[in-house]
Amino acid sequence: MTRRLAALTLALSVVFAAGTDVASQQAAATEWLVSRADVGRPGGQLVVIERAEPRTLNPVVAVDAPSKEILARTTADLIHVDRETQQPQPALARSWTVSPDGRRFTLSLRHGVRFSDGQPFDADDVVFSFTVYLDEKVGSPQRDLLIVGDKPITVRKIDQYTVQVDLAEPYAIGERLFDSVAMLPRHLLETPYTEGRLARMWAVGTAADAFAGLGPFRLREYVPGQRLTLERNPFYWKTDRAGTHLPYLDRLVFVFVPSEDAQALRFQAGDADVTTRLSAANFEVLMRDRGRRNYDLLDAGPGLDYTFLFFNQNTVASNDAPQVARRRGWFRQLAFRQAVSLAIDRDAIVRLVYRGRATPLWGHVPPGNKLWVNRSLPRPSRSPDRARERLRSAGFSWNAAGALVDKDGQVVDFTIVTNTGNTERIQIATIVQDDLKQVGIRVGVVTLELRTLLQRLLTTHDYDACVLALGASDGDPSTEMNVWLSSGGTHLWNPEQASPATPWEAEIDTLMRRQLTERDVQARKRLYDRVQELVAENLPVISLVSPSVLAGTTKGLGNLRPTIFDHHALWNVDELFWRGRPAGGTR
Amino acid sequence: MRYVWRRLGHALLVLFGVSFLTFVLAAAAPGRFGDELRLDPRISPETVEAMRVRYGVNDAVPAQYLRWLQSIARGEFGFSIAYNGPVGPLLWPRVRNTLLLTVPATLLSWLIALPLGTWSAARRGAWLDRLSAGATTTLLGIPELLLGLGLLLFAVRTGYFPTGGMTSLDFDELGRWQKVRDVLVHLVLPVTALTLAGLPILVRHVRASVGEVVRARFIQAARASGVPEPRLLVRHALRTAANPLISLFGLSVAGLLSASLVIETIMSWPGLGPLLLDAVAARDLHVVVAAVSCSTVLLVAGNLLADGLLYLADPRVRPERA
Amino acid sequence: MTSRPQPAGRNYQVALVALGVVYLAAIFAGFLAPYDPSTQSRDLAFVPPTGLHWVDMSGTIHLRPFVYEDGRSYPLRFFVRGAPYRVGRFFQSDRHLFGVDEPAMLLLLGSDGFGRDQLSRLLYGALISLFAGPLGAALSVALGLVLGGLAGFFGGWVDTVVMRAAELFLAVPWFYLLFAVRMALPLRIEPQEAFLMILTIVAVVGWARPARLIRGMVLSGRTRDYVVAARALGASDLHVLRRHVLPQASGIALTQAALLAPQYILAEATLSFFGLGVGEPVPSWGNMLAVLQRYDVLSSYWWMFLPGGALLAVFLLYYLLADALHERVAALPG
Repeated sequence: MTRRLAALTLALSVVFAAGTDVASQQAAATEWLVSRADVGRPGGQLVVIERAEPRTLNPVVAVDAPSKEILARTTADLIHVDRETQQPQPALARSWTVSPDGRRFTLSLRHGVRFSDGQPFDADDVVFSFTVYLDEKVGSPQRDLLIVGDKPITVRKIDQYTVQVDLAEPYAIGERLFDSVAMLPRHLLETPYTEGRLARMWAVGTAADAFAGLGPFRLREYVPGQRLTLERNPFYWKTDRAGTHLPYLDRLVFVFVPSEDAQALRFQAGDADVTTRLSAANFEVLMRDRGRRNYDLLDAGPGLDYTFLFFNQNTVASNDAPQVARRRGWFRQLAFRQAVSLAIDRDAIVRLVYRGRATPLWGHVPPGNKLWVNRSLPRPSRSPDRARERLRSAGFSWNAAGALVDKDGQVVDFTIVTNTGNTERIQIATIVQDDLKQVGIRVGVVTLELRTLLQRLLTTHDYDACVLALGASDGDPSTEMNVWLSSGGTHLWNPEQASPATPWEAEIDTLMRRQLTERDVQARKRLYDRVQELVAENLPVISLVSPSVLAGTTKGLGNLRPTIFDHHALWNVDELFWRGRPAGGTR
Repeated sequence: MRYVWRRLGHALLVLFGVSFLTFVLAAAAPGRFGDELRLDPRISPETVEAMRVRYGVNDAVPAQYLRWLQSIARGEFGFSIAYNGPVGPLLWPRVRNTLLLTVPATLLSWLIALPLGTWSAARRGAWLDRLSAGATTTLLGIPELLLGLGLLLFAVRTGYFPTGGMTSLDFDELGRWQKVRDVLVHLVLPVTALTLAGLPILVRHVRASVGEVVRARFIQAARASGVPEPRLLVRHALRTAANPLISLFGLSVAGLLSASLVIETIMSWPGLGPLLLDAVAARDLHVVVAAVSCSTVLLVAGNLLADGLLYLADPRVRPERA
Repeated sequence: MTSRPQPAGRNYQVALVALGVVYLAAIFAGFLAPYDPSTQSRDLAFVPPTGLHWVDMSGTIHLRPFVYEDGRSYPLRFFVRGAPYRVGRFFQSDRHLFGVDEPAMLLLLGSDGFGRDQLSRLLYGALISLFAGPLGAALSVALGLVLGGLAGFFGGWVDTVVMRAAELFLAVPWFYLLFAVRMALPLRIEPQEAFLMILTIVAVVGWARPARLIRGMVLSGRTRDYVVAARALGASDLHVLRRHVLPQASGIALTQAALLAPQYILAEATLSFFGLGVGEPVPSWGNMLAVLQRYDVLSSYWWMFLPGGALLAVFLLYYLLADALHERVAALPG
């Protein structure tokens, strides 16, 4: 009897186990990621001002900022860098291990995750996504970010919820590689991919049900030229501590406002709840009105952008005019650049252009980049006298009219170019122009339309000096390789060199390559500190100022934690909720 | 009738000429698609170049033009590199939105300018004339952008009107008449701005041409023989003064798609303007050519209409040599 | 036939004299302006106009107005020494009509974002704007007169060719050409020169609108009657054009000119959006008005509107002049 019972039990348990096994393959219990933010209440919509329309909703080909901002809310990555702590956190990958040599990552995926259309997510989607990103025929800009040691990474499926990623050499940033690499739905995109039309998929205007993503929101509606509405993704894989499914917000609306002044106006009028990238001048205007209008203005402190002046240091071609060669000769003299740096009144720039909401810079890493900034760089204060001294030491002198002349008696004058569409840069150039007038240098300011400017900078190399800004997206030096490597395309003052033109550029090349594979954080910091020192000493770029990150939001937004990293207010949009208000939205 | 067919043939020629010339000029202009990507250190120059090759940006102008023509034949009206899709679906909603704005504004401008200009001409030197001179001069001195911004400021301060856009956020949930009302409310400020911007030109031209006629001898003769003043103005003066005004009207029609660029941008009106500006900045050639071509169609139509009206108003006008 | 009174004659003279004064002031801007237009006073950015006082704090009335600075009063002085300037190519001086001693600053129209004196900028900027505006208008209208006149006069294939060309010129987006031109121009030319070149191109390309209006006028029957009659009497085409067609078209031409001149002055504001305007630190009326197109300036600094007053006054004078000229031409026989 017992034996028969035991056999029955055994048989039943085998059947039962097999049954459960099948069931789990069909619908594993979702392993939720629990947010540690304050617990909020669901409901309401959030209206965000966006400066331009997205050009596409396809993560594979998106390059413009508005597209990426919207896609960041509808897609998810494997490992996500928390914008507040700057540390990588599990996202779609619930855990991972790194091999001792740093070249192999084994990611364990979260079970039971579904796309916004209800289809399950597993390792096949991951492998498919990376195949697409790495395919040269598709030509995704993401590909450049997935090349380590000059070879693309390889991604293999180990089992349904495990993938293995191999790198050609150890990569300093390690798992940050996976941040913002959106996982794509194989069930929707594999066929277009094999048919070669993946790049044309998911254009703006595609019907909402043709999309599927893993982000907190999914597309609801797109009204051309006006707005794009996202709605809560019911399958999102995060909950709060009380077990409520995130996101709290029902809807997220992006309103397109092409003019910067109109953005400030519309926010002020109450048409939107969130506006970021405010200019300091408009920030001040909004400050005056905030009592009446129920919004908060946030100054998140110095950001990651840095504005600088640089000189044309391209090697002189044989067919260049002699004046060109002469001017290039001035720019190549370190003492000349040092004098220019000493003559510039950075405080005036902070005061007049940014109304105090910026930080003067002497090195290219702004203080907002807390993890990487080298705080021990010298900060010489403005001194026209010391500037003159430097010029004298380089063989310059002044003629009877007070104009600076070089050692051959030629008057020193040059032009600074900058781009239209950015009033702050033009103002900075005007201030620099006046500062240099004080030491006898005549400077012209020419504003050019952006692409005309870039043509001059990067193709014809036909310019003298330029005021421009670059913005790091997350502050890690690996994102700036192309700027500091002498062979880099964004090595603005002398791009794409075949071999380093100066010893210090050669040293920077070595340091930058080493920091890319150095896994010890302290050692990496020391390497990059040295790079900053070299830049500050040799002044290929004369760093001027770093503006603060300014934003405005309607009062009462819970869990709002603005950061200087993109997206300043929406990086944790899945945790944002409305305090004490009915499901509403704008003021 | 043959005349009309011939004009249509000319129109087609002009259309081809304009589109081809636009291609040539765009190729001559500095910069190509993808230039601003060079400033993003995370994207390598090779990727940007590969993108350009894929889209045929580096091809010679005739080849690109041919591709565009083929695309028209397919009904796509070009391929937008920036949006990675055919231009047609991008264009038509914007054209409609722009016309929604410019047609009322143009009508309103004419409705105000005709009586105002005529009375100013009839009563030269009177207070109305002086006032109108002052007003048109003031409006002439205010750049369009400033006008738009000023109206927006008014909207923000008073809250009477929306500060931009064409529809409210909850547009879809509104009833039919509420939807109409919503769009009308959003139309008020942009139409006001456009009307005010276009008024000086119209008022002055009306005044000048009516004034010329009013002083002419035959009007004085008619007045001397007792014809009442309003009849004089309307039946005689206006008809004769109509000549330049008809040409002007043709130009008004011609500008229906291009005149509102600035206002649309500052007031976030989802029309052709912001699309065109963005495409020019991004060097997205097909979008620019398509938008310009639409404008050209209206231009040619406007001129054709004007020539027709000229003939009707004054049959002695002969565009052909007698 | 009684000759009609010429009330317009007075207007014509007044407008001419007034414009003459304005242009003279523009030429002698250096003398009239208290400061150099590019001198920055970085502590005095966006300050409202300096108040001139006649009564000091103790209640005493002074004949000579003064300004307060840090508690001290600085009287207004005349024919003071200040920043050097030149008039035209030859005349150089450093005497200014009026000013105050340092460290006080006399900012009668307030200062801009860099602390530069708006009055000085207005005066210095007048020359380029007052030159560019009428130049552009004259170019466009002259070309329009010639081409539109010929098209209307000869009709037939001339008319067809010219009108189709006009449509081409009206439709094509010329900013591409302007970008290309700016790219071709060396960076080192004077900002005013670059701007004038660009403006010339814009004006030349802009012949189509005036041409279209003028052509319509010339086509009209009244001209035809005169033309037929004159031809019958053996007059040459040129004669007919000059005596009959031109006066017909002059009304439109003048109206267009009076409309275009202001538009070209203001065009600089738009051109600078595309990097095609006058560069810093050179002032022009266009770029002074362009500053107002920023929300913070528009809503916070009322004195930045004041240069607009000068602008409007000049535009009104252009209008009065054109109107008066129109009167005179219309009063001519024929």
